Amino acid sequence: MTSAKTSVMTIVRTESLSRVYNPDTVPVHALRDVSIEIDEGEFTALRGPSGSGKTTLLNMIGGLDKPTEGKVFINDHEISNMKDGARIDFRLHNIGFVFQHYNLIPVFTAAENVAFIMMLQHRNKREIQERTDKLLRQVGLGDRQDARPAQLSGGQQQRVAVARALASEPRFILADEPTANLDTEAAMNLLDIMEKMNREQNITFVFSTHDQRVIDRARRVITMVDGAISQDETQHQS
Amino acid sequence: MTTYLKLAWRNIWRNRRRTLITVSAIVFAVLAAIVMQSMNRGSYEVMIDRMVSFTTGYLQIQDYRYDDETSLDNAFFYDEALREQVLAADSRIVRVVPRLETFMLAANDVSTRGSLVFGIDPDKEEAFNQISSYLVEGRFPGADEHMVVLGSGLADRLQLGVGDTLALIGQGRFGMSASGLFEITGLIEHPIRDMNNSVVFLPIRPAQELLSAEDHITGLLISIGQARQTNAVAAAVRQALDDDELMVFTWPELMPELLELMEMDLAVPRLLTLVLYVVIGFGFFGTVLTMTMERLREFGVLLSVGMKRAHLCGVLLVETLIISVMAVTAGILLSWGLLKLIDPIALSGDAAQAVEDMGFDPVIPMSFAPDQFFIQGLYVFLIALVVFLFPLVKILRLNILEAARS
Repeated sequence: MTSAKTSVMTIVRTESLSRVYNPDTVPVHALRDVSIEIDEGEFTALRGPSGSGKTTLLNMIGGLDKPTEGKVFINDHEISNMKDGARIDFRLHNIGFVFQHYNLIPVFTAAENVAFIMMLQHRNKREIQERTDKLLRQVGLGDRQDARPAQLSGGQQQRVAVARALASEPRFILADEPTANLDTEAAMNLLDIMEKMNREQNITFVFSTHDQRVIDRARRVITMVDGAISQDETQHQS
Repeated sequence: MTTYLKLAWRNIWRNRRRTLITVSAIVFAVLAAIVMQSMNRGSYEVMIDRMVSFTTGYLQIQDYRYDDETSLDNAFFYDEALREQVLAADSRIVRVVPRLETFMLAANDVSTRGSLVFGIDPDKEEAFNQISSYLVEGRFPGADEHMVVLGSGLADRLQLGVGDTLALIGQGRFGMSASGLFEITGLIEHPIRDMNNSVVFLPIRPAQELLSAEDHITGLLISIGQARQTNAVAAAVRQALDDDELMVFTWPELMPELLELMEMDLAVPRLLTLVLYVVIGFGFFGTVLTMTMERLREFGVLLSVGMKRAHLCGVLLVETLIISVMAVTAGILLSWGLLKLIDPIALSGDAAQAVEDMGFDPVIPMSFAPDQFFIQGLYVFLIALVVFLFPLVKILRLNILEAARS
């Protein structure tokens, strides 16, 4: 293992990022002076024990939370100082999310969940239909387009979530514990899909995870302890 | 837009039972409110129609002094030109009915009673209020016959009947003595009890001769299609009249006590409707509150993936409005059907007798005035908008991370 970086273009950059919860009562330092860069095409895992700050870091990078100090840049756009509406719009066009609990819209079918993001982007109907079809086939759910989330297994739901995250053609995808609720077969299947997209389409993935199966497949592993980065290493895949 | 509508529609039916209960509660409130109001208004419409057709008319033109001093001295000149002018003022005017009204003494050969004498045009009066249907004996005289019709109460008191002679004694215009003998051609059971005990009708020309008021009347009653057109037609007639001495009054101006009585009587049903809507409003709020709180995590996700807060609020507003529209539509249709089914409710026994004694048919008629349906719908929409404030504030203040953790 080495700590060298070999990427071409930096997509995510944080500068001295700190996040303190309850600063006026009982301050909790969730992040302490975190500076990282994530390049295009990386397949990166953030690991660490509970409370180490990996989800907080993911939320900062995703523009879901604002830092107490420091800055977050996505493609040289500082999102940490954007207003709420602008950040929502920025997320829509630049960031894909995959959540631990899938978080699909329960009243929509798999296809509608994927199409919904593109509808928010005001794309035309035909393009939405074609891309939805393509994405669901890519995640192996071409034949379950009309199924609602309740009719799908956990693994299938998470694959729909990946397709949804990809729908907006984002710069990168943030996945918060994506395999935590999946059995081994479903988890490996999901990782296969994401890895394939990463290799073939150069899509950048950043995971927060405890799951050794994810860590083993990541090419870069950032370890966090007590809100700070304790280790940043690149793994060579066999 | 279609996607948002689809999302709202499906969200409503996520919990079918809860939605149906909420819709049913609102339907019940709308139904109860409309039926309650329809019964009240139906009775009042009959009462108003009866009162105005036998007393003031929906509109009445008088000399400007007559309202302060009810005297024949304040009668005004009436001819065909004025009649045409008034009829031309507004297309909603159905007819105009002249009356000459005064107090006189009515007497037989031994006793005297105070009486309210109406000089009327029998044909126009008949078209206006179908007065001949209240005849219990005899007939109405022709336009030029020097004959009278008495209220049966007055006839009883004077112990007179058809074919007998009535003496009228009083004062005509500008202090002229007025007295005459008139054959009684008919008796009517006047629907207004006080008038039944005092009224004397005689054709307007003999009345004008008797009272030295040739070509003069005290009031020109205006009949219109619907009571709610009163103010609009009054404005049109006021504009059309180019005589400063003539004034146009509406029936509430001429009978304010009737309006006040009705308003007082309506206070209880209005209070009941208010209580009903407050209760239903809380039920509606409970549904929207649950629909909001159980989906906070989902809202957080939608905002995370790029849905604008305003659009999310829009979806929730549409959900609230769809529930309202379904409930209001069903409530209006059901109440319409129910009203058609029960209209009019026939009274029996003592209740029927009491109503008949007051001069009304022993039924409770229903009103089908369109505004009572729309107004109930409007109330529900207002409640929906108030209820919607909760999800609106919740979404505008929603912390995405807290929502995602909920």
